[in-house]
Amino acid sequence: MEFFKQATPEERKIYYREEWDVNQVPNFILGQLENREFGFDHFGRGPNDRYKTFNSPEYLKRFMRSKTPFAAYCSVAFYEKPRKREGWMHAELVFDVDAKDIPIRTCNCDNVCEICLNEAKEIVGNIIDTLKSDLGLKNIHLSYSGRGYHIRVLDESVMEMDSDVRSQVLKYVVGADVPNDKYENRGQIYTLRPYSIPFGYPKVFTDRIKYSILHLTKDSKIEGISKNLLNKTLENRKFIEENQWGDFLNKLDPNHPKTGARNYNKLINSIASLNMSLVDGKVSIDLKRILRLPSSLHSKVSMRCTEVKNIDTFDPFKDAVPKFVWERKD
Amino acid sequence: MIPMSFINPLSDEGKQIVREDGGDLDRIFDENDDIIDAVNSITAQEISDDAYIPKSYVDLVIKRVEWYVDKKSDPKYNHKKYAFLFYPEIAKFDVIAFYILCQAIGIKYGPNSRESRAVSELQGQIIENRLEELYERDRLEIVDKIMNILIVQDRIKWTSLADLLSSKKINLQDLVLKDGNVILDREDFMEYFKDVVKLQQPERMYNVFIGNRIKELIMIKMIMQNTENYIKNVHEIAGREVEPNATLLKIAEEVADALSKEIRYYGGGDSGGEVKASPLNIEKFPPCIRKSLDGIKSGGRNEVIVLFLTPFLSYARLYPSVFSRNTTLKVSDVDADLKITQNEILPMIYDAADRCSPPLFDDQPQEKININAKLGFGMNDNLNLQHEGETTWYTPMSCEKVKLNMPNLCRPDKTCKGITNPLSYYNRKMREK
Repeated sequence: MEFFKQATPEERKIYYREEWDVNQVPNFILGQLENREFGFDHFGRGPNDRYKTFNSPEYLKRFMRSKTPFAAYCSVAFYEKPRKREGWMHAELVFDVDAKDIPIRTCNCDNVCEICLNEAKEIVGNIIDTLKSDLGLKNIHLSYSGRGYHIRVLDESVMEMDSDVRSQVLKYVVGADVPNDKYENRGQIYTLRPYSIPFGYPKVFTDRIKYSILHLTKDSKIEGISKNLLNKTLENRKFIEENQWGDFLNKLDPNHPKTGARNYNKLINSIASLNMSLVDGKVSIDLKRILRLPSSLHSKVSMRCTEVKNIDTFDPFKDAVPKFVWERKD
Repeated sequence: MIPMSFINPLSDEGKQIVREDGGDLDRIFDENDDIIDAVNSITAQEISDDAYIPKSYVDLVIKRVEWYVDKKSDPKYNHKKYAFLFYPEIAKFDVIAFYILCQAIGIKYGPNSRESRAVSELQGQIIENRLEELYERDRLEIVDKIMNILIVQDRIKWTSLADLLSSKKINLQDLVLKDGNVILDREDFMEYFKDVVKLQQPERMYNVFIGNRIKELIMIKMIMQNTENYIKNVHEIAGREVEPNATLLKIAEEVADALSKEIRYYGGGDSGGEVKASPLNIEKFPPCIRKSLDGIKSGGRNEVIVLFLTPFLSYARLYPSVFSRNTTLKVSDVDADLKITQNEILPMIYDAADRCSPPLFDDQPQEKININAKLGFGMNDNLNLQHEGETTWYTPMSCEKVKLNMPNLCRPDKTCKGITNPLSYYNRKMREK
């Protein structure tokens, strides 16, 4: 049986008429259905049927069953008049991690595979941890999008925030900026590298850099990092695994107290830039985005966009494969 | 004891001073012996010229602004010349000067003006300098006292600082966060992090990493934000009056004159003289633009060509000083017959589109219309003066937005340091020659 093959119109019909149930749409969407805008893609050319609204789950159910869309989306924003996209009330804070676009993947697949989907899940887990432990956010939902994951935050304290603040949150959780390492206290300047600060943003940054370095392969191509530096990094990353960052630095730049930590700086600066691509930033800062509707079919890959209740046990190859895929004959 | 109003003029104490002593706008230009005496009583200053001494409230307002401008732009800046601004002896007069300044700017220029931003920044810098002059104990005490009033609840949630974050006065990464709370208190720090700090003494770590640093930072930024809010209020109230106060309007103009020496510094790290419209010099382009000109090999072709490259190339060629001038122009204001746009700018954009993989217009020919729209000519097939103004001429995207929308493009070089917009990079390089 072949995964990730496009669903036929017939298979879509089977899915929406026999397998899909409106009650699979999560409560965080059904609960305020009338304030969301819906969008549909009927022909696989992008969601051009927009500005749709549904006053009750029953209407949504009828629509899906009769139209059996190629893809279904709903807005992250809540509107007073969603049919006109007017009266913006607030919007979910969203992080879109697409396995296909992760900048460092240990697999070499062209599209997505079990390995990179697992890596996407690890990244998502790390982001959710930071959202909870550092930022103290609640009401966080996760859905499998078909080729990755959507983290959807419905904590009221962030839903009115503008794009600028959302972009700061995004950069914080992915570790996109190298932290300042000079601190002044009573006229004295102290140099503290991020790995020596086990709290706050430097800690998040160190964790993300560690994750990325441990997922590098000899074939990784990273702008700003030469083959030589990549090899040196791979040879010595065992130190990072054991959190011996000082030893790692010494290996990369043996004379760093005299000559400066050139290689180390190059490495962390390049990886910090790369971290920005862990998540699709456009989605996070867009206050009117539409996202795949959990429970709907991602027809391009024949996977079900699914709400993930337990990230540890969720397996897309078990929990997000529609029945018709298992029943395919080829 | 340091008066609270000396650091936070918007405190109740500050408001009280204004109520008691600041009522008579007709006399604020008059020579005021009390101000002169207070300034003369400060020993840590260099008064080699009588002109250095402010002699009236308005003089004091202008001195504040001159200090801010000189400090930023005068290579021969002499701190001692303005030392009186940083000693509590002038606190009472300074509070009144602060209110005069904010009211003048509020009435004449309003809350979203450069002048308003300059006043808020000026106030922030004055507070920073004043705190530096204090003894450590006084400094800790006054910051604690002010923070206790500014922050009503015991612990600050980072989400309550959204305005400050949004205005970029503080960055989320500067805050130490735990469960959504901003950790400022020593005891809180010890409770949460004592056990994880292993390489250093936790106490020392607190002093170095948080200490008063973040507390002061937040306090200063909150006062800056409150200053902006106050200017906004003044502006709204003034809008309901039949005739604005002539004295304050006059002061606003004097302040704007004093600021004009510095105003070119606005616009994202763009400093130095104004760059005039001239043929494009590719050598001076920032790395992100050069990369875009080579064509985009993966996703995001439309954004790079239409939203990023089109505004950059058009402004760099026609109106490079857009951020340092307060005027909105149309393409035809600079390129009346659109020849430069047709013969120099569009070909460069189209070439970059052709170098994309696949070439952008092969599968998305409608993007040519979008390019015209971003130049201000509406959603039309051709650049036609009759359609100009149907859409807005998009200004170049900031570095911040580039990083978010097209992270692969941003590979900063040395010149990028302190630059917040690719156009500022180009202007800086053009000035170097």
